[in-house]
Amino acid sequence: MSLSGVHLTQIGRADFLLEPLRSLNVGDNARLIEGVVERLLRAGAARLYYDLSSQAIIDPVYYAWLNQLAKTVAAINVKMVCVHMQPTAAFALVQFERETPAFETALEISDWQNSAHNK
Amino acid sequence: MAQKKTASEKLTALFNLKIGDIAGALSVPGRKYFGGDSRLMDDDEIADASGDFKNLIIALLSAKDPTDKGSPQFQALAMFFSNLAQRVLMRGGHVEDVVRYAQLLQHTLIEALEQDSGIEFTQSRSTLLYFSGVFNELIMAAFRVYLEEKESALSAQEQALRETATPITEIWDGVLTLPIIGALDSSRTMLVMEALLNRIAKDHARAVVMDLTGVKNIDSQVSHHLIQMVRAIQLMGSEAIITGIRPEIARALISLNIDMRDVITRASLSDGLKEAFRRMGIHVSQKTE
Repeated sequence: MSLSGVHLTQIGRADFLLEPLRSLNVGDNARLIEGVVERLLRAGAARLYYDLSSQAIIDPVYYAWLNQLAKTVAAINVKMVCVHMQPTAAFALVQFERETPAFETALEISDWQNSAHNK
Repeated sequence: MAQKKTASEKLTALFNLKIGDIAGALSVPGRKYFGGDSRLMDDDEIADASGDFKNLIIALLSAKDPTDKGSPQFQALAMFFSNLAQRVLMRGGHVEDVVRYAQLLQHTLIEALEQDSGIEFTQSRSTLLYFSGVFNELIMAAFRVYLEEKESALSAQEQALRETATPITEIWDGVLTLPIIGALDSSRTMLVMEALLNRIAKDHARAVVMDLTGVKNIDSQVSHHLIQMVRAIQLMGSEAIITGIRPEIARALISLNIDMRDVITRASLSDGLKEAFRRMGIHVSQKTE
């Protein structure tokens, strides 16, 4: 099953990397979330890394999409970690974000793996 | 008996007369205040400026209404004087020099026009008042330039002070320290946050230790800014560790209902660094013989 608007790549035994494409429509995401969850379930995934390197700004709509995806994958015991968040995106996000997001963040995938090990 | 002329008639008569080469006379004030030892302008520049001024003043006197301060001729003259003042100030001249130059230029111009036209301005209060009004406007234009330059210099100094007041240092590979001294207001927080987030991305910093030892008091707005900064650091994927919280700051944070559950705090900067190292899996120990 192809997923429209994202690249979803398995990068380890239980790890997946999601790279959003320009064509991603975060306003109409129900089918996309179902597709992602199905792929993760099939592979027995434990972690989903969401690459934010191409996202200069995170607005409330994009933030809601990230939260919804993180909460949904958490329902099948998959932890979502956003990596490569841009300074401009973090700056914009803290201006309106009022609650702890449903996802974790890391500079790099390897950083998150190391810090999870050290905690 | 000669009929008395009004000021505007005299000004019109000035234009009708063929005004000779008064630029040479007009360059005297320029040489006195901007030339010589002050070296603000060289002789050629002074001669050019005097020639331009002569042309602009002739254009003003030939305008339909020379007293109209909204006329293009008057605006052009004011613009010329603003540019001259800006050039002098940027080269290290003083605004007093520009004002004295304008005053001497006024006297020189009147004398030169008197000689050229044969009209006794000293006998005509209205004509003198006219020139006085024109030169007052020019002096005000110079002062506006001076104030703008001052404001711009002050703003640049403030910016430089803000940057040096919050030095972000990479104290270890991937560990940044940020001592915060003084008050955190909205604009300073924005600057610090922007600089800090860019440094995290550039240095790939995995931990930031923010030391509040230099913060004497805190209010709800400042604490909000502080938490915003911590959240932004965490969103980038780094660890934010706050150190040096004084007892009164700790009490204020709690009484302001600031949620500190997601914030890592340590008593001192050294404890904060140890915690950063621990989280990064770095072990620092004393070498034993």
